Amino acid sequence: MFSSMYLNCICIHGLCVSVSALLPPAVTTIKAAVLIQRWYRQYVARTEMRRRYTWHIFQSIEYSGEQAQIKLYNFLGYLMDNFTPSSTERNLISHIFRENDVCWDSEWERYFCYKNIEVPEVYSGPHLTFPLTVEQAVGLLEAFRNKKQLHSRYVLQLLLETWKLLRMLPNINRISTCHSKEVTICGDLHGQLEDLLLIFYKNGTPSLEKPYVFNGDFVDRGKDSIEILLILFSFMLVYPRDVYLNRGNHEDHIINLRYGFTKEVLTKYKIHGKRILKLLQKIFSWLPLATIIDQKVLVLHGGISDTTDLSILTKVNRHNYVSALRPPKRRNHSSAGMSIDIEIDDDLWSTSKIYQRRASLTYPKPLGPRECFHNRSLQDFSTRIKANMENELENSKRREVILAATLHRSQQDILSVSTDSVSSDNAKDEWRQILDLLWSDPMNQDGCVPNEVRGGGCYWGPDVTEDFLNRHNMQLIIRSHECKQEGYEFCHNRKVLTLFSASNYYDVGSNRGAYVKLGPDLVPYVVQYQASSMTRELTARQSVGRTERSALKVLREQLFAHKSDLLCAFKKFDTKNTGLVCLIDWASAVESVMHLNLPWRMLRCQLVTCKTSDGMINYYDWFNELAIKGPNTDHIDQSLLETLYRHRSTLETIFRIVDTDNSGFISMEDFRQTWKLLSVYLKMEITDEDISNLAETIDSNHDGSIDIDEFMEAFRLTDKKSRLERGRSMFMHTTSDLTKLESDPNV
Amino acid sequence: MAPKKDPKAPAKKAEPAPAPAPAPAPEPAPAPAAAPAIDLSSVKIEFSADQVDDYREAFGLFDRVGDNKVAYNQIADIMRALGQNPTNKEVSKLLGNPTPEDMANKRVEFEGFLPMFQTIINSPNKAQFEDYVEGLRVFDKEGNGTVMGAELRIVLSTLGEKMNETEIDALMAGQEDENGCINYEAFVKHIMSV
Repeated sequence: MFSSMYLNCICIHGLCVSVSALLPPAVTTIKAAVLIQRWYRQYVARTEMRRRYTWHIFQSIEYSGEQAQIKLYNFLGYLMDNFTPSSTERNLISHIFRENDVCWDSEWERYFCYKNIEVPEVYSGPHLTFPLTVEQAVGLLEAFRNKKQLHSRYVLQLLLETWKLLRMLPNINRISTCHSKEVTICGDLHGQLEDLLLIFYKNGTPSLEKPYVFNGDFVDRGKDSIEILLILFSFMLVYPRDVYLNRGNHEDHIINLRYGFTKEVLTKYKIHGKRILKLLQKIFSWLPLATIIDQKVLVLHGGISDTTDLSILTKVNRHNYVSALRPPKRRNHSSAGMSIDIEIDDDLWSTSKIYQRRASLTYPKPLGPRECFHNRSLQDFSTRIKANMENELENSKRREVILAATLHRSQQDILSVSTDSVSSDNAKDEWRQILDLLWSDPMNQDGCVPNEVRGGGCYWGPDVTEDFLNRHNMQLIIRSHECKQEGYEFCHNRKVLTLFSASNYYDVGSNRGAYVKLGPDLVPYVVQYQASSMTRELTARQSVGRTERSALKVLREQLFAHKSDLLCAFKKFDTKNTGLVCLIDWASAVESVMHLNLPWRMLRCQLVTCKTSDGMINYYDWFNELAIKGPNTDHIDQSLLETLYRHRSTLETIFRIVDTDNSGFISMEDFRQTWKLLSVYLKMEITDEDISNLAETIDSNHDGSIDIDEFMEAFRLTDKKSRLERGRSMFMHTTSDLTKLESDPNV
Repeated sequence: MAPKKDPKAPAKKAEPAPAPAPAPAPEPAPAPAAAPAIDLSSVKIEFSADQVDDYREAFGLFDRVGDNKVAYNQIADIMRALGQNPTNKEVSKLLGNPTPEDMANKRVEFEGFLPMFQTIINSPNKAQFEDYVEGLRVFDKEGNGTVMGAELRIVLSTLGEKMNETEIDALMAGQEDENGCINYEAFVKHIMSV
């Protein structure tokens, strides 16, 4: 009897329930159960669907931003090479193209000297002494956790030490796990200090027993990029054989201009920010390109291509690639060995450049198919520029004559050396290797195609992985570069592992972060986490809902910013001018303008809420729905306003480039020049009156200078609240200590 | 779930083993082990062009390989994402009762998916609010509008198309009151409010 009692019981969750008490008609029970189960699975599927397209939205916009940045850089580069505008304009942007030469470290060390920077009494952050100890490194962690800021003197000192160390490292680090050592590998951190702190909390800080590899993209987007760098560098200085850093595509000053790192540093370090950034440029170029573990596991930031060759990569002069976005020029070393790139020699540099540029006024030869994307945007405006070239040719010929007559002997040394600035094939090949390493993404199909979504590197397939691993006798590639919902993802038959360590990247609750532990068995053991307790408490549905609302808001902004193009596209379908389009036409038109490859039909319910009559969409109503009122912008021409919204990031980037003294202000004249540059880039007419009207919007300064932040703020589409809500802001807030330091002229 | 009349199915209705079965009788409709697949080519597609485009878009979202196809084991989810509510069994039948390997490896293109979807849409098993409530009322011992969360858990994990612990936890999150009871009308409203 006892046993039959047991047979009649089900024990689940420690709860014993007598089955006979459960129910009579078995059919009904089961029917009920199945009903609920079906419903639940539907709920999961629909939530997953929403999550997928939300993800898609964020990712598309992120990658198209990267593409836009590359295009902008190419445009500016093209100007530099082929079009010598009046000297003011060229000087506005030339400084970002100065190549950094290795020679004369002593000159550089003079420029970066921190010794005369005094640390005031009132400073309450950490004090560093060198050589660094582990206690100091840990102290730095604590200080940053408590929102302190490291004084610029120590920053420069630490960076100089880092630079010295990095110069001694090979392009490809080789490490081995031995009996007890497990290597921990982390992916993108993107300035998210909370995630790094969480990793160290869960896994321990780096030490002799606990080696770490950090796989690039330490900076940009998050608000604590500099703190992350300082922590990683300090641990690397303390444990140089146990902390390895790989370069990512964001360790690049051109990218930093758009994605927030430059701004962060300049905001936090008002006086010495520029120097810090310059030093970081060198440091970034000296970061190793990859790490190999036990000769079997390759760790690098982006990926590989069908031409990746480790033997080439081992030999390149990696520091020549200050930015991975630009093919290198042939180095011109004069016999005097003079450094071509020092601030002090501004005029010298610009005059010698003019001479060199004359020789390069011909169009660069058309490159092979892999480089097509690189040049595509250049051809767009080349016709416009060509007209000016003939004039400029005349002007520069005249200048050259004057130059030759007044040039100094030593200067002539530089000039007499080869003026051929077209890259040799070797250098181009090297450049492509590095570009692929930092920018590529895996794809599911076989083959290797240019990565046109991002604008750099390629998409590589499982066959390329297979071939590569066989050729190099390896078994696994660990890379980062792409955000993954679970923080990691295997692909290519588990031969490629993507690792992403910035949780909540797109928005609060959007994704987890992960790190990987690798022991001598080389079997990856993944650990996931998610910063911020708030996210853990959200249910899947709430978290998806939040992120979805955020993504849709961003998308609506983008759509609004493309209003004129969309209107044109709609009119093409609406030949009878009824103001209505059917759904299928709406979706085609929107995709043809936005190029985001999103599921527009699915998004339609969220994006178009105005009433439609029998499935038609009234697009004028729709635009009204999307329209967002900015501050007093009525006096500004509508299409100009739209340009502003659409190219906000590009505009801001150009402003930052133009603001050579990094004061956050540019003169009215430079403001005009910037708009002229933009008008060429966008092939738009912008009149002087338009520009004056724009300047008027920020009326605060009557002294003839424009506050960049205020200007951008005035044209922000989102109100402050929702920006904060989004959880990710390109506008970094200053640390609380900064307000104390703000009045201090030494910081 | 209406048992499908199938002349070829084994006549034996599965009755529990002689011992007092610990679980209630298994499903009235036996697993159609030998049942042939539904003849999809004879299904008439009645969707409008707009609807087809909608479905094609959703289908594309699930294609993670880029070959314009989806795996067998994704079909049920796509249908659910599009608002239908098939049981795994129904879908399995549509696919010709594939083996687990087939479910993971075989793929179907959009044109093959459409008739399957049409079949599901045509099938009469649409659950309304009342059906759910009725179903849950079964567990309402005291007839007071509540069910014991614990009982529900047991049932969901042992009967029908079993759910695992994580799924059940996610489903019931925040639904039980301090006594472990669930007001099932509210529960159903919650269920249907996605």
